[in-house]
Amino acid sequence: MTRDPLLVGQPTDAALADTLLGTTWRARGWGWGVAFAISGGLTALLAVCVTYTVTTGVGVWGNMIPVAWAFGIINFVWWIGIGHAGTFISAILYLFEQRWRTSINRFAEGMTLFAVMQAALFPLLHLGRPWFAYWLFPYPSQMEVWPQVKSALPWDAAAVSTYFTVSLLFWYLGLLPDLASLRDHAPTRRRRILYGLFALGWNGKASTWRHYRAAYLLLAGLATPLVVSVHSIVSSDFAIGLTPGWHSTIFPPFFVAGAIFSGFAMVLTLIIPTRAVFGLQHIITERHLDGCAKLTLVTGLVVFYGYLVEFFLAWYSGSPFELSQFFGARPFGPSAFVFWTMLACNVLVPQLFWSRRARRSVWLLFAASLLINVGMWSERFVIIVLSLQREFLPSMWAAYAPTWVDLGILSGTIGFFSLLFLLFLRFLPFVSVAEMKELRHELAGEGNHG
Amino acid sequence: MARAILAEFASPEALAAAIRRLRGDAHARLEAYVPYPAPEVEEALDRPRSRLPLVVFAAGATAAVLAYGLQWLLVAHLYPIDVGGRPPHFPLAFVIITFEMTILFASLTAVAGVLVLGRLVRLTDEVQGTDGFESATGDRFWLEVSPRDAGLDEPATRATLAELGALRVVGAGETGGAP
Repeated sequence: MTRDPLLVGQPTDAALADTLLGTTWRARGWGWGVAFAISGGLTALLAVCVTYTVTTGVGVWGNMIPVAWAFGIINFVWWIGIGHAGTFISAILYLFEQRWRTSINRFAEGMTLFAVMQAALFPLLHLGRPWFAYWLFPYPSQMEVWPQVKSALPWDAAAVSTYFTVSLLFWYLGLLPDLASLRDHAPTRRRRILYGLFALGWNGKASTWRHYRAAYLLLAGLATPLVVSVHSIVSSDFAIGLTPGWHSTIFPPFFVAGAIFSGFAMVLTLIIPTRAVFGLQHIITERHLDGCAKLTLVTGLVVFYGYLVEFFLAWYSGSPFELSQFFGARPFGPSAFVFWTMLACNVLVPQLFWSRRARRSVWLLFAASLLINVGMWSERFVIIVLSLQREFLPSMWAAYAPTWVDLGILSGTIGFFSLLFLLFLRFLPFVSVAEMKELRHELAGEGNHG
Repeated sequence: MARAILAEFASPEALAAAIRRLRGDAHARLEAYVPYPAPEVEEALDRPRSRLPLVVFAAGATAAVLAYGLQWLLVAHLYPIDVGGRPPHFPLAFVIITFEMTILFASLTAVAGVLVLGRLVRLTDEVQGTDGFESATGDRFWLEVSPRDAGLDEPATRATLAELGALRVVGAGETGGAP
C-alpha cells in the first residue's frame, strides 16, 4: 500500500519559510475582522460574567446543594482535557518519531496553552473568593496554616500549574529558531525588533543546537508522564470521593483517554478551517487529518470501554446506590438527555472513522469533531451533575439547572480561547518552520516524500 | 585584532564537506550556523554530547527531595491534621506533588540550560550584522573559522573556502562588502 505524502510537492526551504512565516505579515481579508469581533464580543461577555460573579458571589451560578460542583468543574475538566492532545502530539509522537507530528505540533501546543488558561479560570472562580487563591500554595504565613496535601485539591493546583508551565516552556523552546527567522526575514523594522527581542539572540550556532536538541528531547520525555498524570490527578478529585458514580478505580485511565479523545477532536475542529484559510493543504495534508482521525477513533474506543466498565462495576458491586445511579438516574433521571447525547456523540460518531473515506472527508471530519466536543462536555456533565443529583438519601435529591451566568461564562471562555488562538495564528508561525525544513531535508535524503 | 572568517554554503552537505576538509587542514576552532540541525553537519563537527541531561537530572532529583521534605515539614511536622484516619506522614499522598515538582524543576532547568550553555540572551554577538548572515536562519549554511584558530591565515583560508564552493566569504561583522 502506498502512503500519502507528508509534504505535497517539493517546496524549497525558501518557499517553505515564505509560506509559513508569511502568515504573520500578509494582509488577510475581512473574515478576520468578523472572527475577531465575534470572539472579542464573547470575551467581553466573559469579563462581564466574571466581574458579576466575583463582586456578587458564586450564588449567581446554578450551583446548589447537592449539586455544588456543576458548570465550574465541568468546564474545568473539559478545557483541561482538550489541552491534552497538544502535549500528546508534541511529546509522545516526538518520542515515537512520528513524522506527521511536525506540521501540527506547534498548532496543537498553542491549543493546549490557551485551553489550560480557560481551565484555570474555573477553580479560581469556584473558590468564591478568588483573591485567596494563593492559599493553595505553601508560603510562610503568620496564620501557620498550610495546604493539606492529603487532599486532592492541592494536587490539582500542583498538576495544573506544572502542566501549564511545562507546556509553555516546550512551546517557547520550539519557537526560538522560528522567532530568529522572523527577526531576520520579517518585512518591517518594528517587527524585526519585536521578534528579535523574543528570539533571545538565537543565531543557529551548531553548539547551541546541540544543547537545544538535548533539551527538546528531555522536555518531550518529561512532558510524556504529564500527559497521563494531569487528568489522572483531576480524576482523583472524583475517584477519592464516595459519591455513587465517582468512587471507581477506572477513573484515571478513563479520564486520560477522554482527554486525548476530546483534544484530538479540538485539533480537527481548529485545523480544518485554518488550513483552508491559509491554503496550507500541501503542508497539513490529508494524511495528517487521517492520523488525527485514527487517534480519535482509538481513544474513543477506550472511552467506550470505560463506559462499559463503569456499568459493569456498578452491577457487579451489588450496591443499591451504584445500581440506581447507573441504571436509574443516568438513563432516566433529570437531564437524562445529556447522557444520551454523550453516548451518541462519543460512541456512535467516532465509528465513522473506520472508513478511510470518512477520515479524508473534510466536512465530515469537521462535523464529527464538533459533535465529539459536545459529547465530551456532556460526559463531564453526566459525571458531575447526574451523580450529585442522586446521592445516597432520596431526601437530598434535586434537579440542577444552570443560570445565564453559567452559560455566559462557558461561551465566554470559548470566545476567549478563540481570541487567543486567532492572535496566535496572526502573530506567530503556527507550523514549525525549522522542523519542516529538517523534515524536508530528511525526506529529500530518502528520495521520496512519504 | 583578528576576526572570524565566515563562509556561506548552499547545502548542509557542502558545509559538512568544508568542515571535514578544514579539520583535515588542522583548523581546530570551527563553528557552524544552520537553520536546522542537519545530521551531516553534526557528524562533521564531531562535538561531544551535551552535558545538559546530567544537570537536568540533578535538578529533578533535588526538586523531588525538597518537595517531599516540604510536604513532610508542613503536613506531618508543623501542622498535623487527621484526615480520614491517614497517618500524619503518609507517603502515598505525598508522591503526586513530589512527582509534579520533579517534572516542573527539571523542565525549567532544561530550558534555562539551553539559554546558559547555548550562550543565548545576549544583546549582541560577533557575527551579528555580517553581510548576508540573515540567511543562516533561512536556507543557507554558514561556517565560521574562529580568530583563535591556530591554522587561520586569512588570505589562505579565504581561498580554501572559495575553492570548497562557498557562495560568499566574509569577515565577521563585515558590512557592505561585495559577496
